[in-house]
Amino acid sequence: MSNTSEGINWNLILGIGAILVLLTAFSLPSLIVLTVGLLPTGVAFIVDRSDQKTGTFCVGGMNLCGVFPFVIKLWAGKHTTSAATEIISDVLSLLVMYAAAGFGWIIFLAIPPVVATFLSVVAQTRVKALRASQQEIVNEWGPEVANVNGTDVIEDVPTLDQP
Amino acid sequence: MAELPLETEETASDLPEGLIPPEHNDDGDTESVEMPQGAVAPAQFGPVVLRERFLIDASQPITELDTQSAKAYVAEDRRDLGRQLYGLVCTPGLPVRLNSIKFLKAHNSYKILPLIDWDTVYWPAFEQKTVIVIFARPLGGRLMDKLVSKEVTISAYDMPQRIIAPLADALQRLSNNNLTHRAIRPDNLLFFDERMEEIVLGPHVTAPAGYDQPMILEPLDRALAQSAGRGPGTSRDDIYALGVSIVFILLGANPVAKMNDDELLKARIELGSYTAICGSARIPMQLIEPLRGMLADDQSARWDFNEIGNWLTGHKINPLKKRRRGRAESYFKFQGVDYYSMRSLAWQFAKHPNEAVKAINSEEFDTWMRRGLDEPEKAEAIHDAVLTAKLQTDSYQGTNDYLVALATAIMDPHGPIRYKGLAFMPDGYGAMLASEWIRNSNQQPASDVLLHDICTLWYDAQPKMTQELIESRMAITQLRSLLTIRDPGFGLERVLYEGNPGINCQSPYVVKNGVVLIEDLLPALENAANSTDTSVQPIDGHIAAFVAARFKEDIQTHLKAMASGKADTSILGTLSLLAFLQSELRSPAVLALSSWVGGLLGPAINAYHNRHTREELESDIPRLVRKGSLPELINLIDDPGKRKEDKEGFIACRTEWLDAEMEIRDIEGAGDERLNKAEQSGQQAAAMISISIALTVITVLILTKLL
Repeated sequence: MSNTSEGINWNLILGIGAILVLLTAFSLPSLIVLTVGLLPTGVAFIVDRSDQKTGTFCVGGMNLCGVFPFVIKLWAGKHTTSAATEIISDVLSLLVMYAAAGFGWIIFLAIPPVVATFLSVVAQTRVKALRASQQEIVNEWGPEVANVNGTDVIEDVPTLDQP
Repeated sequence: MAELPLETEETASDLPEGLIPPEHNDDGDTESVEMPQGAVAPAQFGPVVLRERFLIDASQPITELDTQSAKAYVAEDRRDLGRQLYGLVCTPGLPVRLNSIKFLKAHNSYKILPLIDWDTVYWPAFEQKTVIVIFARPLGGRLMDKLVSKEVTISAYDMPQRIIAPLADALQRLSNNNLTHRAIRPDNLLFFDERMEEIVLGPHVTAPAGYDQPMILEPLDRALAQSAGRGPGTSRDDIYALGVSIVFILLGANPVAKMNDDELLKARIELGSYTAICGSARIPMQLIEPLRGMLADDQSARWDFNEIGNWLTGHKINPLKKRRRGRAESYFKFQGVDYYSMRSLAWQFAKHPNEAVKAINSEEFDTWMRRGLDEPEKAEAIHDAVLTAKLQTDSYQGTNDYLVALATAIMDPHGPIRYKGLAFMPDGYGAMLASEWIRNSNQQPASDVLLHDICTLWYDAQPKMTQELIESRMAITQLRSLLTIRDPGFGLERVLYEGNPGINCQSPYVVKNGVVLIEDLLPALENAANSTDTSVQPIDGHIAAFVAARFKEDIQTHLKAMASGKADTSILGTLSLLAFLQSELRSPAVLALSSWVGGLLGPAINAYHNRHTREELESDIPRLVRKGSLPELINLIDDPGKRKEDKEGFIACRTEWLDAEMEIRDIEGAGDERLNKAEQSGQQAAAMISISIALTVITVLILTKLL
């Protein structure tokens, strides 16, 4: 039986819900920093309509880079709600987190055209090589080799041994 | 009736220089025989050499030994200068009797002028090659000349032992080898020795059977045919000619010389040949019976060798039965002349087919047939033929010519086949075709004879089918089957060569080379290669048919390849056939012919797909052309291993080309899909980069804190 219904992934929702409950119960300060800090990732998740959610991964990865130092600072110092509140109320901290997310967006927007151009160049090179190979075959075997429907071969003629 | 010497002797000297006297104007249906201008070689031409042994001196003609179709010249044997020889130079385009030539050369036949050798040799006066036959020279001259000049006399008492017995024996020997002479006439009986004791039969091989014969010396059925269509016949036809010759010798002249041919033919038909020829002559009593027997018009009643032998040895002879001559009591008027017999009327019907059809349609004719001749069955058959013709107006079966051919066959079943002005015996079809085609350039009527199956009308009209008739019918049927095939090696050309074993190949390439034997074809083509347009194939319809008729090996596959519509297969078929000939006949190198064929091999070379193979072949051909070896040339061009390798390589490369094409189309044909794929790939790459950076940063931060 499938756990999905009409586009809603109940497993994912349940998994995220369970993590949130556990984090609320055992690490509420971290949850506060992560929730505020990873807001761009949430936005990206909502905005990204693709199946593979590559945009979400791009933004999320870089966003996590920006958030994780503050989570480490929380874990290494006072792991309290007030410390968490202090971090999320610091403009510089938020700037670092959201700038990192923005860098993720930049990566997401800049890399695909570069890769597409590169792949196109590779394909054109391949076509050229194939065309050259075909021309070589035609030079060697004549234009009828490119005649897909032709069966242009010599009919049998008698030999001296077999009149 | 006044007796005159043979007319041929008298008229020959009146003709202009260079012409042989025209053939006896025998039955009005026959064509005149005319030697080409220059048949008499001017004195400036030197001797020609035959087989590197015999010299024929063109400046020394021997007019007294000329025949109607061949001129005689002094010949010399280089190995035996004392030998008395002469050569007969045959008329180009006239079939010689090759089977008889081969037989006489191989066998020294008794009482027949010895044939020493023969070959096709360039004759300067003709400016082409022609057949020359070397004979031992008859030292006593012509029998008839000696009788006329009273140098010798042959009485009725001498006749059995000096003429009849030896000549009948000679004819029987020929007959035992399925040959006939068919040129027995008074001026062709020769004294072989200077003392004029031994009489021999003169040459008969330089023209088709009966071709040179005056009408009077042909049995009635064959006399009604045109000279070229008289056919080889049987030994009984020779016996008839011997009988007439005996009459001439006895009387020293032609007893009916004053009658023209039409009058004589009509008299022979109405009265019988014996009565017409000997009726007013004084024939010695002891010779009346044999002459009656030998001159019988009914072939089955005519004497054969047994009856001649019995008569010579004094045994009892069955008297010749008086046969009904088919003469009507009343006459039928046609073209203002009264006719009393079907045979003479059929003869005239064939001469005037349009008027004949009007006559056949008349009630008077039907009544004459039924009551005058008492032939109701034949009248009914002709009536049915008329009705059928009226229903077939759109086809050849409704034409006057066809109706006349059918009617004349019914009226005169023993006479010749008559159609569109032709008159020939079935066994004379081949020579008749040759004469009509080569000498008159009018082969269509002869072709129509086979296409319209006219011979079947004649065979169906025969009262009795003898073994000879059955065999000749099979031969005609075979010729007809060859005519209906349109491929090279068949058609009317094939009929020409199958029907005339002694005719030379008529292809424009080699016609002047007088190619009679297949062994001479390649050298002739080699010669032609130097003076012919070499942009066309060297084997035309005549050569293909000539090879098919003369070459003993099976060449059907070669001919089939030649008939292919593809230029490469066709030229390979031609080359393979020529190579097969060179290989089988052990012919020497043919440099010019190799060059000719080599220049036409473009399509065959281009049929190979591989460029390197083509270049290799093109570079090798000149080397083989210089060797003049056609078998090596065909082995190079049509090497089965090379061809297989080329074929397999071509198929493999075609597959490779197709795979490349598919891949190119896959790359180029994707369009937006390819862009989307590239973008997706870029996005995936971006995501991977982002995740990688994140994992690296997290790991570094954790490690930094822990350490």
